[in-house]
Amino acid sequence: MTTDALSGLKVLDLSWVVAGPLIGRTLADFGATVVRVESSVRVETARLMQPFHGGVQDKEGSALFGNCNAGKLGLTLDLKSEQGQEVVRDLVAWADVVVESFSPGQLRKWGLDYETLSADKPDLVMLSTSIAGQRGPWSTLAGFGNVGSSLSGFQHLVGYEDRLPMGTFGPYTDYVGPRLALVTLLAALENRRRTGEGAYIDVSQVEAGVFFLSPQVAQFGYDGTIAERHGNRDPRFAPHGVFACLPVDGKERFVAVAVRSHQEWRALARAMGRPDLADRADLATDEGRRAAQDELEAAVADWTAGRDATDVERTLQSVGVPAHLAVTSDDYPDDDQLAHRHHLVELPHPRHGTTWVEGPRSALSETPGRPRSAAPTLGQHNEEVLTEILGYDAERVAVLTEGGILR
Amino acid sequence: MLEHLRVLDLTDERGLLCGRLLADLGADVVQVEPAAGSTARQAPPVADGAAASSMYWETFAAGKRGAAFDLDDPEALARLRRLAGVADIVVTSWPRERLEALGLDPESLRGDRPELVYTVVSAFGWDGPKAGYADTDLVVWAAGGPLAPHRDGDLPPLRISVPQAYLHAAADAAAGTLIAVLARGATGRGQVVDVTAQEAVGVATLARVLATAVGDDHPEWQTTPGRRTGGRTDQSGSGAATPNSLKKWHCRDGMVELHLSMGPAAGAFTNNLFAWMRDEGAVDEPVASWDWRVVPDRLVAGELSHDDLDVARAAVRAFLLTKTKAEVLDAAIRRRLLCMAIFDMADIAGSPHLAERSFWGQVDIGSVDVRIPGRMAQVLGPEGPRVRGRAPLLGEHTDVVLKEWLR
Repeated sequence: MTTDALSGLKVLDLSWVVAGPLIGRTLADFGATVVRVESSVRVETARLMQPFHGGVQDKEGSALFGNCNAGKLGLTLDLKSEQGQEVVRDLVAWADVVVESFSPGQLRKWGLDYETLSADKPDLVMLSTSIAGQRGPWSTLAGFGNVGSSLSGFQHLVGYEDRLPMGTFGPYTDYVGPRLALVTLLAALENRRRTGEGAYIDVSQVEAGVFFLSPQVAQFGYDGTIAERHGNRDPRFAPHGVFACLPVDGKERFVAVAVRSHQEWRALARAMGRPDLADRADLATDEGRRAAQDELEAAVADWTAGRDATDVERTLQSVGVPAHLAVTSDDYPDDDQLAHRHHLVELPHPRHGTTWVEGPRSALSETPGRPRSAAPTLGQHNEEVLTEILGYDAERVAVLTEGGILR
Repeated sequence: MLEHLRVLDLTDERGLLCGRLLADLGADVVQVEPAAGSTARQAPPVADGAAASSMYWETFAAGKRGAAFDLDDPEALARLRRLAGVADIVVTSWPRERLEALGLDPESLRGDRPELVYTVVSAFGWDGPKAGYADTDLVVWAAGGPLAPHRDGDLPPLRISVPQAYLHAAADAAAGTLIAVLARGATGRGQVVDVTAQEAVGVATLARVLATAVGDDHPEWQTTPGRRTGGRTDQSGSGAATPNSLKKWHCRDGMVELHLSMGPAAGAFTNNLFAWMRDEGAVDEPVASWDWRVVPDRLVAGELSHDDLDVARAAVRAFLLTKTKAEVLDAAIRRRLLCMAIFDMADIAGSPHLAERSFWGQVDIGSVDVRIPGRMAQVLGPEGPRVRGRAPLLGEHTDVVLKEWLR
């Protein structure tokens, strides 16, 4: 018999948008009970973000919100009201873990900060995630992950050398912060399991982003080199790029191709029907190919232009050359490998019939995770959370409802 | 927090970060290398000079102990297997065929040690149709989805100029490992944790990979608010659906990232920006007093046009040219703006905020004392994560680890 890895773990999720909610999403996948608190009055940003079911903008239709919150119970609460804060206090008393992403200092104003909450509950594990952390001169900085990606150096490191920095697609540190947060949180839970000790974890998206640029930071410290953007080029490998293929249904298609060795170069050149290039002496070394990279990339581009991107991928992979179609959302559901791993998960949804989310990012052989349900609609589990988890009676629920607290 | 755990680290550049994170959290992580040294010792960026050194290795192997084995020598291999026999965790990113040939694969090592947690980091997975695919950072970035939306106009999609895909996978692997460790705390049983970079990077698309699955055939939407063909506006605050050229602005000493956010959730930030400009006489009415929270509604109603937005943008452009990066950062904090200076490695190294938060660790690289990112998160209570020391020399701790682990 298998139980869930995090079975019995109780989590109060007071976070919003992407970076905070992704943490609770993983905990829910592996069996934790996660209560997500939000407001239907001040609708959380992710609910307003595409992609949307059927392409229709609707606060119950965002696939991004769905992906970040699958498997959670949803409670709508007016956190500005004293009664709403009282409900939060009761949820903290129930929870093992609290995750929040309010502006630093906000919870203290409400008396819901770690110091206050842990006074009665020393084994509480609480995690705050913000742009720049809970203390320090930048701690009051407002913003989303794109601010984090500017301050952590990523904006500067995407783009062609002779054009504006392009920056990353979306708020890049929103993808990095929750990963490092989760690792730290899980370690704190392991420590709590063994010692009974709680913890407070302060995660800064800027710091998480800089952490993922550790080699570039070290290089600056070592010899003053400032890392720059280089399009798709690589300091070692050539050719190394992304090339246009035949359009499909009027949509552009691209393939990524990278050559790591002379052997791979010969295989690529032969696959392109260019024995002249395969046998050229000056292309036998990394340095030689880098010196000729304009010429080599033009040759690859000529070859791919008349071909289907998937065919290029298969042809090159069959001779051991790293290559892959630049996958779009049209391709994603059909990818053989993702399908083999059941990565896309279909879930019943009260509005849309079914919805789709990404699966857990770690496949565990004995206690596999899975999203248990679609993300909650606004207030979907108000009754369940208040009566079954907090044990409120009907009268108290009615008072909260009539007082406008549950919205 | 993880001082009780022994980790045998059989990774190359694909999985190197996983063990670094576990070491930062206190685990005893032994980085195993073949006699010729890890391929990660050649991973870019490699700094020039007498002590030519991979900054990737120096940072992501930091805090580990190092053991080297001649994998062609049966006796050395037997010693390595004995270390695996007393490890709590084995983590690898070596190729499957090699692990099987060496008898270090999950089946061989877990056969009579069901309590072992065995974590595999790879580009595509332990099995499946693409498990044998040749891989690089660029190829994984293409296969997982985030390459395609990284577009600069009509040019081919772009990766981030420094490798990132395997860092996402390795961080996910550390989380997956700790979930398995927590499960072991309850059941006594270990398991196999299988993590792929292809799946790990899907989250870096802000759910664009789900767009087709949920029936949104136009997830990028319009990119120019108010244009007749669009009708929808980017109300995210992050500017994720806004083209690059509308988010990059020159200032006196560099560049600024700024998305003119609009709509109920994020429009107030743009109101703050225009309040600053108004205070300094840098924008005229009526633009100066627009409420950006309702700008999308006014565009839909035809009260504002695309040309009106261009007038607002021109005012912002002229205003920012009079400001420095430091002034913009200061204003962003004081006036709650969603705009930020685009930092490079020198700006990051000079950040007073990061220094005040004790973010940095110090390691010795080729006899130079170098600051590297030292804390993935800050913890109150138990001792939090921090870099524990420099990366090991080849085989530096082989003897002492054999003695300590096998006594």
